[in-house]
Amino acid sequence: MTQLGEGRTQAMALRALTKRFGATLAVDRIDLDIPTHSFYGVVGPNGAGKTTTLSMATGLLRPDSGQALIHGVDMWREPSRAKAMVGVLPDGLHSFDRLTGGELISYAGLMRGLPKETVRERRDDLLAALDLDAAGSTLVTDYSAGMTKKIGLACALVHAPRVLVLDEPFEAVDPVSAGAIRRILQEFVASGGTVVMSSHVMALVERLCDHVAVVGHGHVLAAGTLDEVRAGQDLEARFVGLVGDIADQRDLAWLRQS
Amino acid sequence: MVATVLRLKYTTVRHQLVREWWRALLLIGGAVWSLSLVPAVVWASVQLLDESAEVRADILLVVAAICIAGWITVPLLVTGLEDTLDPGRFTTFGVSAKQIAPGLTLAAFLTAPALFFTGAFVVLMLSWREESAAALAVALVGAALTVAVMVLGARVAVAWSARAVNDRRTRGVLLLAVGLALAVLGSVVWIALRDGIDSALQYEAQTLMEWLGRTPVGAGMAAAESATYGRWWSAGWRLALMAGTVAVLALAWRDSIAHALVNPVHRGGGRRRRADAILASASDLPSDGTSGASRWSRLAGLWRADEPTRAVRARMLVSWGTDARYLVAAAGVITLPVIFFAIAMPVLGLDTRWAFVAPVMLAASIGWGRHNDVAYDHTALWLDIVSGSRGRAVMAGRAQAVLVWAVPATLLAAAGILAWTGRWYAAPGLVGATLGTLGATLGVASVTSVLLPYRAPAPGENPFGAEVGSLGASLGAQLLSSAATMLVLPLVTVPLVLALTVHAGWGWVSLGTGLVFGAAFLLGGLRLAGTLYDQRAGSLLARVS
Repeated sequence: MTQLGEGRTQAMALRALTKRFGATLAVDRIDLDIPTHSFYGVVGPNGAGKTTTLSMATGLLRPDSGQALIHGVDMWREPSRAKAMVGVLPDGLHSFDRLTGGELISYAGLMRGLPKETVRERRDDLLAALDLDAAGSTLVTDYSAGMTKKIGLACALVHAPRVLVLDEPFEAVDPVSAGAIRRILQEFVASGGTVVMSSHVMALVERLCDHVAVVGHGHVLAAGTLDEVRAGQDLEARFVGLVGDIADQRDLAWLRQS
Repeated sequence: MVATVLRLKYTTVRHQLVREWWRALLLIGGAVWSLSLVPAVVWASVQLLDESAEVRADILLVVAAICIAGWITVPLLVTGLEDTLDPGRFTTFGVSAKQIAPGLTLAAFLTAPALFFTGAFVVLMLSWREESAAALAVALVGAALTVAVMVLGARVAVAWSARAVNDRRTRGVLLLAVGLALAVLGSVVWIALRDGIDSALQYEAQTLMEWLGRTPVGAGMAAAESATYGRWWSAGWRLALMAGTVAVLALAWRDSIAHALVNPVHRGGGRRRRADAILASASDLPSDGTSGASRWSRLAGLWRADEPTRAVRARMLVSWGTDARYLVAAAGVITLPVIFFAIAMPVLGLDTRWAFVAPVMLAASIGWGRHNDVAYDHTALWLDIVSGSRGRAVMAGRAQAVLVWAVPATLLAAAGILAWTGRWYAAPGLVGATLGTLGATLGVASVTSVLLPYRAPAPGENPFGAEVGSLGASLGAQLLSSAATMLVLPLVTVPLVLALTVHAGWGWVSLGTGLVFGAAFLLGGLRLAGTLYDQRAGSLLARVS
């Protein structure tokens, strides 16, 4: 029960989380504490292990070793309790694309065990808030990338989770919708919720997040409040400093037009 | 470009072999098996040597017709065949169909089955060597063109079916055409065999073969006979017909490539649906997991139907109605029973009581066909996994969605067979065996679909293709689920056999064992599958993607 005491102030706590794919060590004993009521950004270069880490924290990928605690509940020991507290938006996975957008939200709500009337109300609220009203009766297979992101976010929100884990939530989303999503997430954090978000866009992370972790080669390179990690620089410069710039900055002379 | 495409293919195969060593075993096993057929082919060729030219031509014609039918239908029925060079994969490279078609065509001819059939037909043609050199030459050309029709025909069939099945407008027409073709085939066979197999072989078969010899199916084989008797005109136009067919097929194949390059299949065609089918399926009663008074669970009376189960069932019913991959699967289940009933039974001259096998076979095809059900969700199943420990609901909902159409379909088939045989006294036995088989096979399939999922076509992908890397896994899963099915089937089918052979009273036993064992296997299977689903939730996503 020491974990509980320690985990209570942590919305999410990762302990020595490790995942190996064949010869590649994708995530190497990652420790991360994500305080409740924080807007936490996870940044890292491509292939750093962000998605793998978030998948292990949300019950989508069993870790080789280590723990993922959601408000003190072990995701892999008590999955039902832990999953109920988390809303997930994965990146690059299919959705049940023969359903319409509205049906997909209903499905997510019913799978979370919500009663029918609640699902109906929340579905309509979410479609309106994410500007998907017109798309609510269109099949998800006909959605653009940005609309798919938005409907995925709606599915993650429908059961009013305590922790939101979002993999690249703003990718391919237009500025107007991005503004709407930003407002929803900021209000969610202001009301006591926790958002964990991965992103490649440093400016976005600086603007939204109060905490940030830089992940590279399966390790946490730096983590803490935004100011601690930035250490006086801007985030992008600090990020490049931590993960290292491209070694061979070759000049593509043949690409020049004149 | 030809060399590039071929190199791409062999590099892909090599990488697969390096990554998964068991693939090499499969490859070697397949090669050994093919080679083991060589003596049989040589033996057949020697036997043909002793036959008269007419008989030899007739036999070869039937062989060619069966092979062509097989080449065209097998890739449609057995998904998961090799599709490294699916034209759709080239969409992003900015190549034209003209550039890649020759390479893709050559690659199609350099696959193991194509090479084997070429070799086999060449060996068979050697049986013409004692007629005349000209006859042998005509036979060899005819054989080459016939194999070309097989290989190209298979590609065109897959490409066209994929197109048709993904298009809402042509989908209905396609299903109708398949049904009509089967009905025509069935009635032709039955009419032909009305007077017994001997009379059929004597009269109808002769006429049929004469006609087949004038179509691209058999012209390549019939040409050699014409050449033997010096009917050069007859041999000539037959070879020309074959060459023309090959040319048309090649053009159609190129057109399909061109179409695939600019029309990715995954689109819903802008369809809209106002009503929320998922929400409509939810119960109006408060969800406490024991809403036993609901219409559905009272009707079924057998399993719980809480909100998640209902949601999964509603989702799967949408898939069964609209997803090309499920439509193909649903259409495929009738193949085996129809072949058995319309072809195997009359040809083998079986007693009409054997017709009772057909509905049982249909039930088994439906149940066994679901042995990879979970993988058809592809990575979309993340939503089920993150929603909590929903394994039981997921598996029960899936099975219910199958039962919704499978129970009426199998009962209809059973009623049809009862009417056809007039043995209504066997009704309880047949109904018991059919429903028992459906329940037992679905129960087994639900367990294997969680234990041994293998990659299936992703949503919106070509329903006839497979993800690269699935062959070994699919073979293992298919063998295991077949073996398990074979083990449980006698429990529900033996009483029916006794009812038909020993005493009609066994029919009531069959009804009892069918319903009890069927329900027990289904419920037990679903329970186990649900528990396994939750236990393996952390690795399922990786297994199916």
